[in-house]
Amino acid sequence: MPVEPQRTPSRIARSHGGAYVHLPFCPYVCPYCDFAKWPLRRSSATRYLEALHAEIASAPAFEARTLFFGGGTPNTYDAATLAELVRALAARFSPDGFAETTVEMNPDPELCTPATFAAYRAAGIDRVSFGVQSFVESELATLGRRHAPGDVGRAFAIARDAGIDNLSLDLIFGIPGQTVESWDASLAAALALEPAHVSTYGLTIEDGTPFAEWFARTPGAFATNDLEAELYAHGIDTLVRAGFEHYEISNFARPGRRCAHNANYWANGEYVGLGVGAASYLAGVRSTHVRELDAYVDAALAGGPIPGESERLEGAARLGEAAMLGLRTAEGVDIAAFAERYGVDFHDFYRPVLTEMRAMGTIDATSSHVRLTRRGRFVANDVCGAFVGFAG
Amino acid sequence: MDRKLAVAHGPSGTVRTATNIRNFCIIAHIDHGKTTLSDRLLEFTRTVAQRQLGEQMLDAMDLERERGITIKMHPVTLEYPAHDGKLYELNFIDTPGHVDFSSEVTRSLAACEGALLVIDAAQGIEAQTLANYHLALDQNLTIIPVINKIDLPAADPERVKKQIEELLIIEASDAILCSAKEGIGIEEILEAIVARIPPPRGQDAFVRGLVFDAQFDPYRGVVSYVRVTDGTLRAGTRFMSMNQKKVYEATEVGVFKPDMRKTQALDVGNVGYVIANIKSLGDIDVGDTLTEASNPAPEPLAGYKPIVPMVYCGLYPNEGVEVSELRDALEKLALNDSALHYEPESSIALGFGFRCGFLGLLHMEIVQERLERNYNLDLIATSPSVVFRVTMTDGTIENIDNPAKLPARDRIALMEEPFVKATVITPPEYVGAIMELTQNRRGTLANMEYVADGRVILTYEMPLIEVIIDYFDQLKSRTKGYASLDYEVIGYREGDLVKLEILLHGDPVDALSSIVAREKAANRGRGLVEKLKELIPRQMFDVPIQAAIGGKVVARETVSAMRKNVLAKCYGGDISRKRKLLEKQKAGKERMKRVGTVDLPQEAFMAVLRLDEN
Repeated sequence: MPVEPQRTPSRIARSHGGAYVHLPFCPYVCPYCDFAKWPLRRSSATRYLEALHAEIASAPAFEARTLFFGGGTPNTYDAATLAELVRALAARFSPDGFAETTVEMNPDPELCTPATFAAYRAAGIDRVSFGVQSFVESELATLGRRHAPGDVGRAFAIARDAGIDNLSLDLIFGIPGQTVESWDASLAAALALEPAHVSTYGLTIEDGTPFAEWFARTPGAFATNDLEAELYAHGIDTLVRAGFEHYEISNFARPGRRCAHNANYWANGEYVGLGVGAASYLAGVRSTHVRELDAYVDAALAGGPIPGESERLEGAARLGEAAMLGLRTAEGVDIAAFAERYGVDFHDFYRPVLTEMRAMGTIDATSSHVRLTRRGRFVANDVCGAFVGFAG
Repeated sequence: MDRKLAVAHGPSGTVRTATNIRNFCIIAHIDHGKTTLSDRLLEFTRTVAQRQLGEQMLDAMDLERERGITIKMHPVTLEYPAHDGKLYELNFIDTPGHVDFSSEVTRSLAACEGALLVIDAAQGIEAQTLANYHLALDQNLTIIPVINKIDLPAADPERVKKQIEELLIIEASDAILCSAKEGIGIEEILEAIVARIPPPRGQDAFVRGLVFDAQFDPYRGVVSYVRVTDGTLRAGTRFMSMNQKKVYEATEVGVFKPDMRKTQALDVGNVGYVIANIKSLGDIDVGDTLTEASNPAPEPLAGYKPIVPMVYCGLYPNEGVEVSELRDALEKLALNDSALHYEPESSIALGFGFRCGFLGLLHMEIVQERLERNYNLDLIATSPSVVFRVTMTDGTIENIDNPAKLPARDRIALMEEPFVKATVITPPEYVGAIMELTQNRRGTLANMEYVADGRVILTYEMPLIEVIIDYFDQLKSRTKGYASLDYEVIGYREGDLVKLEILLHGDPVDALSSIVAREKAANRGRGLVEKLKELIPRQMFDVPIQAAIGGKVVARETVSAMRKNVLAKCYGGDISRKRKLLEKQKAGKERMKRVGTVDLPQEAFMAVLRLDEN
């Protein structure tokens, strides 16, 4: 008897899957950052590249629609190197070519030449996300960023000249010394460049960073919770007024310009992560590569499994994670899709949480969707935490 | 006359003197060196080898060591060959070193004929030196003053001698100079014990033994510590506890050398133990008198007083702890702590828990810490209270140990609260600060005495509730640690008292209510509301906090809603990390107690102890 192929969740996800490649080197290290990153050393960078190619060659069979180079500062590698990586990754994960290929870039003029973008374009890189953080010089200095505010416009211009117009930029709010006025100036400067996409991130003080030490010594130097809220609100209002969709807690896009790669994360889709510290979600297992450079490189070059952590979530924990991700998006949790994928009625399962959250005005629930209200977005940790911690 | 030996109506019998026995204890203010001196006496008489002593110290409970207090060690018999060529049996009975346990000190003293009063050569006489001295005098004990720590650079034995003459009315020439640390004066002390403390004397016609302590042993039941005052208490005989009137068979008697060693009998003057298949500490009262069931003594020994808890608080399981776990732990603790009282109560805010009674604040803290550490329980303790005595309009009297249970105002005819006599000894420069603090605590100065060497003794009468709410810490901080405090309860006095309620979101939280003097209520309400605002973390909504007296709001603050709490970043798809951060945050919330819709940290329930209202 012919068996009809089952539409398994992993099959659905696979068709939208992503590939993430971590390029951990930076020309300099910023004091607030706690991503896996190292100051550039030519010999390490070369060996790392070899390791990455080795990992690509032995990676599990997987179909990816999007590719994302994150860091670190990916453009510390030259364009030819990235182009070579794109080729190898496409051969492995997307024989027909990726639908979206993003590179995170530092807008420093030395790292953003016309030749760089031309080579990117030729390699199929069609989206750039600039780590701008602020257009105010003193704030850039506070953050330890070495590019000048004017560098960003220049980088945008030459990227467009090279034919790459899907341009995004990251801004940070809550920088010590930042005011609503200075934040407004950064937002205005960003909008003047007409980006396709903007991400606004509240400054997070991460353990073990120089900023954490600074905060421990002088907490008063940092934005209060109230100021942060004001800045976040001002960012939302300004960007939405300028025609951007606030499609995820920290992300804004012009219509049709959402980041497909990141959208896959929030849809709880599958992805393969390559490189030191990279995270994957394959066949229901979340795994993270070791964050030590040598440990990663040695393992990858030896062709063996990359050490790291992994977990397979079951039951309520799995549902909670899906809820946490879905709630971050403007559409929220799609009730029908949730029921089909997890076999659970969202309204039934989370009834007590939903009742409490609705009473507090943080959740807007209809029969088809459950999403955060504007207020809910401001306290998303509390709201999502209630779902994550709910055992049924 | 030694009243322990008074036999007013007894049958005629011979009086026996145990000439080779001396029973003594050591009394001292905290940190004056009682423990070190005890160790030296054990070492000098080779009762315990030095190495063993170290181990014994290590066995002591962590909590007591951390707090620098020894609550008590079990009695021990020292064998001492004195200079007169005879071998003496010196029974050393330890006393707890804190004001909370003064009732236990009294019982230990009652088992002795003499006491070493240890005084720090640098600190001089402190409040508990005086208090313990008076307790020993009440028991007609021979007192041997010992000036300890004479090796310290700041030691001033001459000054201390002056204090002794002036305050204690003892010949200073009787004082022995000693450094327990350096081993100076130890032999002299042992000789003085033999020479100055009278030997025990007792009747032959009947048996009496004072139960001065009891411990629970999971394998053998209750082990009673007994000082035999009359006759001979033999293993295998049936005896009766004279207060509870219960009859037991003494399955084993013995002495402490220093471990429990079985003997045939305990004779007049002996200090030892009795095991008698007693299952619970509740079945034998410390302070009770044991006598032979077949030939009971005409009357019990004097001095029996039931233990009355002075300080009460509610103990409730925090989220994730079952009330049955707390009950089991309290049961186990109470097996060895007859002063710990507990009974079930329920609170609207906190659910089911226990109202627990303690000897004092230190006792309360020790019990709480034991429950949390030894039994790994996450608890919520409510603010300490005392027992208020309420006369109702219909004439009945109710004892209120929980402010939430105070009857409505219109049903109350009269309210009374326990008062103490508080003795503070201080250098004169702090007198002003102490007066200000104590007057603020409704204390009235009863006496002030300047002592020769520039110390001042202040005697106050004040409500007990004012002492237990942070008075000691305040006293220490205002006097740079120089003042010392002792207090004893002197009875109930009428007070103009009101119930101060705390409301969250407009709803009274019973576990946060307190009974306070009307004159202080509004201030206290403001202080509490402000402190709660500090302690309650911002929530997803505004939390109005109000203080009210008799339904009238006297103070209000608002914990404004948390305005922003967002994990901004995607961490390159590291969803696990994001989820774990949320779980961690959620776990932090779960350690708080949810009252209505508000998450309260444990400290909120003890906010009153953290006010700086002075």
